[in-house]
Amino acid sequence: MEPVLVTGVGAVTCHGTGVPALRDAMDRARAVQPDKVPDPWARMELPLMYLVPEPALGTEAGDAPGRATSFAVRAAREALAGAGLAREGLPAGRTAVVLGTCMGAIGDRERDRAPAEQNPPPEQDPPAGPAAPHTWRPDFEVASRLAAELGVTGPVSSTSNACAASGFALATAADMIRCGEADVVVTGGADAYSRIALANFNRLGAVDAHGCRPFAAGRAGTVFGEGAGILVLESAVHAAARRARPLAEIGESGWSCDAGHPTAPEESGEQIVRALREALDRSSVAPGEVGCVIPHGTGTRLNDRVESAALREVFAREAAVPPLYSLKALVGHTGGAAAGLAAVAATLIAGRGSVPPNVPVGAPDPRCDVPLPTARTPLTGTAVLVNAYAFGGNNISLVVREAVAC
Amino acid sequence: MRAAETTVRTDVLISGLGTALAGVSGPGALLDPPDTALGTDPVDALRGPGLRYKDRATKLALCAARDALADAGLLGTDGDLTVDGADFGVVVSSNWGNVDTVCDASATIRRSTYKATSPMLLPNTASNVTASWVAITHGLRGANVTLTNGPTSGLDAVHWARTLIAAGRLRRALVIGVEPVNEPVRHLVGDAEPLFDGAVALVAEAADAVRDRGGTPLARIGRYARAGDPARALAAVRDDEDTPPDAWWLPERPLPPATAGTTAPAGVPAYDLSARHGRCSGALGVLQCVAATAELTRTASRSMLATAGQGSTGGGPGEDDAAAALVLHRMPAPAGGGPS
Repeated sequence: MEPVLVTGVGAVTCHGTGVPALRDAMDRARAVQPDKVPDPWARMELPLMYLVPEPALGTEAGDAPGRATSFAVRAAREALAGAGLAREGLPAGRTAVVLGTCMGAIGDRERDRAPAEQNPPPEQDPPAGPAAPHTWRPDFEVASRLAAELGVTGPVSSTSNACAASGFALATAADMIRCGEADVVVTGGADAYSRIALANFNRLGAVDAHGCRPFAAGRAGTVFGEGAGILVLESAVHAAARRARPLAEIGESGWSCDAGHPTAPEESGEQIVRALREALDRSSVAPGEVGCVIPHGTGTRLNDRVESAALREVFAREAAVPPLYSLKALVGHTGGAAAGLAAVAATLIAGRGSVPPNVPVGAPDPRCDVPLPTARTPLTGTAVLVNAYAFGGNNISLVVREAVAC
Repeated sequence: MRAAETTVRTDVLISGLGTALAGVSGPGALLDPPDTALGTDPVDALRGPGLRYKDRATKLALCAARDALADAGLLGTDGDLTVDGADFGVVVSSNWGNVDTVCDASATIRRSTYKATSPMLLPNTASNVTASWVAITHGLRGANVTLTNGPTSGLDAVHWARTLIAAGRLRRALVIGVEPVNEPVRHLVGDAEPLFDGAVALVAEAADAVRDRGGTPLARIGRYARAGDPARALAAVRDDEDTPPDAWWLPERPLPPATAGTTAPAGVPAYDLSARHGRCSGALGVLQCVAATAELTRTASRSMLATAGQGSTGGGPGEDDAAAALVLHRMPAPAGGGPS
């Protein structure tokens, strides 16, 4: 089957705009402290998040396209520029946009109702009811506005699989190319601060006051991050015809659903294992060819333990589980953007042939028992696995591997 | 633009239909005037634990899902699935979905801080909650997808179910279109016209999956196209068709005359389900496919053309940014007889 190539990547994270900013942060491997969100209505114990620095939350112009959308547009512009594709160079009718987002434009909608500069006393009643219709921003606005920005009006899709959204978007995008529906797909994910999402995790006691520390013994939950991770996927034929330089190849993916609990992962990890094995089998990649895993690893206690056990099971016949690169320790849990950013990181890892040092997060949890080297290590296999999981038991694993030049 | 059917490797068939809509007795009644005698809320009949903590969209979807599975012959007398759930997926389309839960949670946090929110309701703030509960309820462990694509979302969902099956990721998919009516939705959409308050569902299966279990296929999912405007979507989906469809299922609002005149085959009956059931938003495409499949099974019709979305009409991105079209085909008569 014709390979699906990554020819451009773009990123926006708490470390700034651009893949170089992300790459430098990966090289430095230093933890940053989460920000206290400047939202007067963030009435919760731990209003902490890794915010994108520019623009500062709450300072966006009133007619701006929305925070998650602006991240997606910035990352997409970078990815397309890297791919050498101008807007007018996108093949008409053969270009698609498939974007994943968890909260979409909900954060903008929440803040539309009470601008940040207003700081009402606690006893003041908040406005009743939702935002006025003229300020309504539906979830699909992020994908829709990005597509409009790129002049793509046909195959545009907004995937809403919660925190695994961009994993499903990426896999869908690759499938579109494989089955001939598109030559170029701009895909990935974007998410921004949402008061409701953060309050929910506070209510569940799932926010770690000390930062995002996946697989650490002392982890106490996750910390959300804002961001966008966008990839330009291209059919090998289309890329070769314009002599594009591939950065990586997107292999196959494995999809499954726990069908067990609305929020908690199934403790046996049966469906997570199934998604991992399906991604490898469909990509014809043996476990021994995997040189790195970018886990979903959010820092919540059960999720990290279940994922660790699943990885040990899948790699049971190997000498060891391949090194993990725990991206969320660096950028936080970016929700619907998480798998998109992980795929960007996987592309960098495959291209550079080495796994960056993990951010030190304290003593490892012996119940997790997965390798998280804090020094740079050579990539010993040709493939990088990306995992993404979500509320609802939505599981997906994707293979990213070294590209063969066109 | 290449219409999608040219690439699929297996026929994907519709084998079951379900509705959860007050005043509508079932898929075959979607073209009838609403029956006030059957006006009870379908969710009233739901039973089981945890209903208190499910939002309206989820409850409606569960009703339609159950009926579609039963119609396909996929539920045993105990209500359990009779086939393997490992490769049975869920694709849900909804644009308003859980907006009530989101608004309620937001108001609660602002009024009384996050501690006043119920942990039991928090999963409902994730937009994929409906697809998740359907999967949990019936043990559907295949791909689980939620689309919020605006006006084309329902047809997109039917197409994605077919693609997932054709790509070998699934053998079966439950496709659900659902939109609830509640105060937040009314506020956002406005009360100038009635709103669709219900859910519809269909079961899509690989042709061999229906055959192997002795199921009864009702229709075949044909070409699909999504484009910037209705004319291009229709042109793409019908580019090698030499006979007109037997019915045309209209988008949410009437097509502009110029567009309609150039794309609608003359003399084709047109059905506007939004005029009958209220503004349907993300449910429309699935509703069209359910109603059209019912028509294919009870008449001599050969094909149905469903269309959704107007494309950008100046309202700006996020309101209506594309148009989609999808064709359904009648199943050929079994060897030895049957209606032609």
